[in-house]
Amino acid sequence: MGQKDSGKWKRGIPWKRSIPYNKYFLAGLIMTGLAVALGVVGFFWTPYSTTAMSASEKFNPPSLLHIFGTDNFGRDIFSRVMKGLGTTIGISSLVVLISGSVGILLGALTGYFGGIADEIVMRITDAVNGFPSILLTLVIISLLGSGRQNVIISLGIVFVPSYVRMVRSQYLKLRDADYIRRARLLGVKDFRILFVHILPNIFSVFWVSVMIGFNNAILAESGMSYLGIGVQPPEASLGNMLSDAQGYLQAAPWYALFVGMSIVWVVLGFSLFGEGIRRGKVSE
Amino acid sequence: MIRIEDLSVAFGDTEVVRHVDLELSGGEILGVVGESGSGKSVTALTLMGLSADTARVTTGRILFDGVTLQEAGRLRDKALYRSYQGARMSMVFQEPMTSLNPTQRAGRQVEETLRLHTKMTAGERREKVLEAFRAVGLKEPEKVYASYPHQLSGGMRQRVMIAMAVILQPELIVADEPTTALDVTIQNQIIELLRQINQNQKNAMLFITHDLNLARRLCHRIAVMKDGCVVEQGPAEEIFRNPKEEYTRKLIEAVPSRMKKRRKDGDAMENTAGSPRTKRYSAQEPGGSVSRDASEGMRPGAEGTLPGRECGQDAGGRTESPVGPVLEVRNLSVYYQDGKVSFSAGDRKNREGGKLSLRERLSGTKKEWVVSGADFQIYPGESLGLVGESGCGKTSLSKAILGMNCHIQGEIRHHSIRPQMIFQDPYSSLNPAKTIGWLLQEPLRAEGALDRTKAMTKGDMEAAAYDMLRKVGLEESYFHRRPSQLSGGQRQRVSIGQALITGPGFLVADEPVSALDVTIQAQIMELLQRLQQELHLAYLFISHDINVVYQMCDRIMIMQEGRIIEIGETEEVFSHPREDYTKLLLSNS
Repeated sequence: MGQKDSGKWKRGIPWKRSIPYNKYFLAGLIMTGLAVALGVVGFFWTPYSTTAMSASEKFNPPSLLHIFGTDNFGRDIFSRVMKGLGTTIGISSLVVLISGSVGILLGALTGYFGGIADEIVMRITDAVNGFPSILLTLVIISLLGSGRQNVIISLGIVFVPSYVRMVRSQYLKLRDADYIRRARLLGVKDFRILFVHILPNIFSVFWVSVMIGFNNAILAESGMSYLGIGVQPPEASLGNMLSDAQGYLQAAPWYALFVGMSIVWVVLGFSLFGEGIRRGKVSE
Repeated sequence: MIRIEDLSVAFGDTEVVRHVDLELSGGEILGVVGESGSGKSVTALTLMGLSADTARVTTGRILFDGVTLQEAGRLRDKALYRSYQGARMSMVFQEPMTSLNPTQRAGRQVEETLRLHTKMTAGERREKVLEAFRAVGLKEPEKVYASYPHQLSGGMRQRVMIAMAVILQPELIVADEPTTALDVTIQNQIIELLRQINQNQKNAMLFITHDLNLARRLCHRIAVMKDGCVVEQGPAEEIFRNPKEEYTRKLIEAVPSRMKKRRKDGDAMENTAGSPRTKRYSAQEPGGSVSRDASEGMRPGAEGTLPGRECGQDAGGRTESPVGPVLEVRNLSVYYQDGKVSFSAGDRKNREGGKLSLRERLSGTKKEWVVSGADFQIYPGESLGLVGESGCGKTSLSKAILGMNCHIQGEIRHHSIRPQMIFQDPYSSLNPAKTIGWLLQEPLRAEGALDRTKAMTKGDMEAAAYDMLRKVGLEESYFHRRPSQLSGGQRQRVSIGQALITGPGFLVADEPVSALDVTIQAQIMELLQRLQQELHLAYLFISHDINVVYQMCDRIMIMQEGRIIEIGETEEVFSHPREDYTKLLLSNS
């Protein structure tokens, strides 16, 4: 990090230091910030009801009243996108939270200690990686049934291996660093070495893969809802809305357009976010 | 022949080379000496046309035989440079490990220069390469020709690099720290080789180094650089005898040398006057020690149990008696498990001459002995130097002592609490994610967690950390900084502070100054000696630099191929070395 970032006002605020100030990061921050804000607001309030139908307002094109237009049941698309964003981002966050924390735990233990447990965990992740992820989620969903929780659980399981691998490789590298050797010499306990000494050093790499994982989760959730095995209507999710819109591409092209754009917006935002962190890390 | 006139080079807005004037004629060796960041490498790279694209020449020009190679305000002429590089000017780099392509045979890489610049046939090229290999003193040139870089030793690789550089008899050779990565004895051979090449081929040589002694031995003239400027220039001996600039004088004084009075000889010796080691270890308490005999069965996973830790609990406080040693090592051997032995390799002999045991055959491993039969003691307040070339087992020995390697046989007795270590590389020995204050307090937290009776309050720990900062000569404001904001020397100070804050009484210092600039090196050595007196510390001081050891240590041990071949009082060993190898080491530095 550059010398100019070490101003006095930042002293003692550790997380300030790790913020990369570049245009990728800022663009990503603005885009995701807007999406997350819409989703959060949509959780409590939307301009129109997301479920009330109105035959008279069917397929209204975008206007000042309905800026994204209305759908086949006369529902305001913007309100439903707000709800859908909330659902999709919420599910993705939980998926990343589950797979990320399981990934850190398994990756840290296997990477640091190695041995037979490492072999076993790595072979299992290889096996999980061997299946196409959508196939695996289908299997899990068919066992558990569809619905919000089961989507979260199945995607959470499917995404664990990528985090395990990433975290494990970092721990493998850092466990022989001089400062970790020193910590061992000082008699610092293994648990503390794992999560206090090493973990902060892998965060910058970890955040990048969290951002990528977030995007994958959004796309996977949308894909599942699109296939009808994810969030069930009338609950709104970007995926099942896109699936609905497909039937009315001619009658209401704005329906598919605005929903698709929302997905692109969110995914692009998180991509830029991740890229900004990565570049910030490189320049460090 | 080569003239650098008023050259300035800048990266962005920062000038790293400022108005440098250098002149170099055929048959002359010019040494450019300076500490890291003095701009000596950038000057050389700019001369060679190899500087980064972001580097701009802001003033001056470079003339080669009357031709302007580079000039301020003009872009680098790549085509012009290509006709000079390799054929008329060439370079030897510092790192023999990375300057050769690992995927190509050595002969082929040298041959490439010929392919690019001459019209020789394949047969002629091969002959010429072999001849060049012979000329740089490579025995068995055919074998080297067909070898990959990883099959060659560091010295051989550097010879291949030199062969590559001189094969077309260029008029200018730039050598950027060509011997820094090599052991002293090899270093000497390479220096001799460069001198010979210079005499035979009468080419101009620009020799860049941070080592003044080296420059003095090889170079005709020396230019001293500091902060991008040449501060002094003149004949080598002249510079050493009458340095005109304050900075040059400081540099020369900082070089550890046997010519100078030992730092130890002053008041420090009085501390050891009642020399504990003359009294021998008559009163040792078996209770306060830990012995680890033949720990063959121990697995790598058990590495966490440090002897120091056990010791700390048993000894219950700093109970080293003034006469007893802080460390006793008896008949210690260290080995590594080599996993590459197949079961059928049963009739192969292991290093001890016996057949592989059934156990070794079953587990598919073989013991690779790296240290055998080490026997020594270290007494409070004393520094024991450990000297040897890379691969001689010094690091393995120190790791075994600290309990970081469980593949040992023999006995290690500690009479100090949790001995600590100072690492060589200041850039990797501090956790980059933490503040200096946190790093200094961590040893205390760890100690408190292991032994509740020693737990300190937060305020006490902070106070202790501030106190330690002062002791290692850093200002209090460093408490909140992070390692990335510190220089190498400052980091090494923090490192020392971290090792000392729990009051271990015994430190292993593994090449603590060899990664540092010479003036910083002197400061750190001074600090170590001051702390030794204040805290009555014992050091095991590992180094490849026999002069550093001479300055620092009361006694020294010489190690060769895993064995301690000589041990004795520093003065004694230096004036009357017994072993041939010791004599060789001494004559080479």
